[in-house]
Amino acid sequence: MDYILEVKNLRKEFKNFTLDNISFNLEPGYIMGFIGPNGAGKSTTIKLIMNLLKKDGGEIRIFGKDHEKYEKEVKNRIGFVYDENYYYEDLTINTMKSVVASFYSNWDDSKFNEYMREFDLNPKAKIKTLSKGMKMKFSLAVALSHNADLIIMDEPTSGLDPVFRREILDILYSVIQDEKKSIFFSTHITTDLEKIADYITFINRGKIVFSKPKDDVLQNYGIVKGGLDILDENARKEFIGIRETKVGFEALTDNMDKTRRMFGNRVLIERATLEDIMVYSVRR
Amino acid sequence: MIGILKRDISLLISSKQMIIFMLFYIPLLLFVSESFVPEILYFMILVFYTYMMSTTSFTYDLTGKSKYVINSLPINRNELVIYKYLSIFIYFSITVVYAGVYLWIINILKLADVDYFNLRGIMNAIPTIMIYVSIVFPTFIRFEPRVAQIINIILFMTFFIISSNISYTGDKGALKYLGVLKWEYIMAIALVMYILSLLLSIHLYKNRDI
Repeated sequence: MDYILEVKNLRKEFKNFTLDNISFNLEPGYIMGFIGPNGAGKSTTIKLIMNLLKKDGGEIRIFGKDHEKYEKEVKNRIGFVYDENYYYEDLTINTMKSVVASFYSNWDDSKFNEYMREFDLNPKAKIKTLSKGMKMKFSLAVALSHNADLIIMDEPTSGLDPVFRREILDILYSVIQDEKKSIFFSTHITTDLEKIADYITFINRGKIVFSKPKDDVLQNYGIVKGGLDILDENARKEFIGIRETKVGFEALTDNMDKTRRMFGNRVLIERATLEDIMVYSVRR
Repeated sequence: MIGILKRDISLLISSKQMIIFMLFYIPLLLFVSESFVPEILYFMILVFYTYMMSTTSFTYDLTGKSKYVINSLPINRNELVIYKYLSIFIYFSITVVYAGVYLWIINILKLADVDYFNLRGIMNAIPTIMIYVSIVFPTFIRFEPRVAQIINIILFMTFFIISSNISYTGDKGALKYLGVLKWEYIMAIALVMYILSLLLSIHLYKNRDI
């Protein structure tokens, strides 16, 4: 299988945090959502993929090539959008564009201008005068204007209103119509991923909890509701996370069929959302 | 590399502090250094302007969040460091032209009697700048920005005091003794320091977390 992004046993140690041998793969033509609570290791992973941080162990291959050895070649085919504006605030959109464009061998000016019109951005405006949403749109326009095959996004929708977020998701959805392109999208707004992601990779405390197709995740994970009388030692072992109240409990299971067989009519089982999965897994 | 140069010059032009420095540093120096030897004054202007432009652009990629942008673009780390070291000569050329025109206008207007082109000043400024950046650039890569800035300021002040003293005492003082050092020797020392510093910076930057 030719993966567009392969992360194998990736390790990075800090004083108070360790990214602990994480592994996952992304195939061409798919969107992978990278979820996890704040401080789980999402941004660290993205910085390692972009070679902004030096790894302590493991391997990262992008387009089948080592990301350090072929850094320039690999980055020429990556579009990046970070969680906030990292472009130079004092420059105008046009100047910033011309600086960035000179680095890419496949820069497409007409495509960039198309996005400028679509996003209603004034090329003469200084970046510091743009709103957060506009800055994000500018970043997105840059990321999409050099025919990148892999778009890496670190929390691009955080702090944006639902209208902006939906617009960005629609654009990503149209990008992915080209089956050679992939998107790696980190977020803690899981509802965004339920709309567009094909795969979900969940990271918590520097470890991968799972990396699976979204449909498998949503099919197998469920929220179990029942009375406290059935919550004995054996029952507890079946659940990933439990929330107890005076009148009953709610718990997360990753095997709805097994739970159904075990408890029958004594419990109510509902499909879990990605947010449920994240919240209960973190609470574990 | 053209991309980074374009970025650096665009940022220098758009920075209010840099514009203020570019416009007012020469008059300020002329004001405080009436008794300076014109050649030393010209030399100090060349060194300061080149140094300010070089270190300002050098820190763009090491401090602040914008460092993530340049390091995410298709350029490898070695190229970035090599560019930084080579760019000092571009900034030096810009300075020679800019300071030349500025000082020529001052001369024409008879505001002061200053050198606007002096080959010896240029020849002395080149190794000085090379030695200067050879010390400062690796410190910016190796240390936290605050520590690097302190080292930078100490070096800057030291240079300013030494240059002022040499200039003020004129032929009676240290200038005469410095004259015994041949330019070729100083240039050779500067070249060795510059190359060693470049290799050290490449090594440090290659293994550094951005």
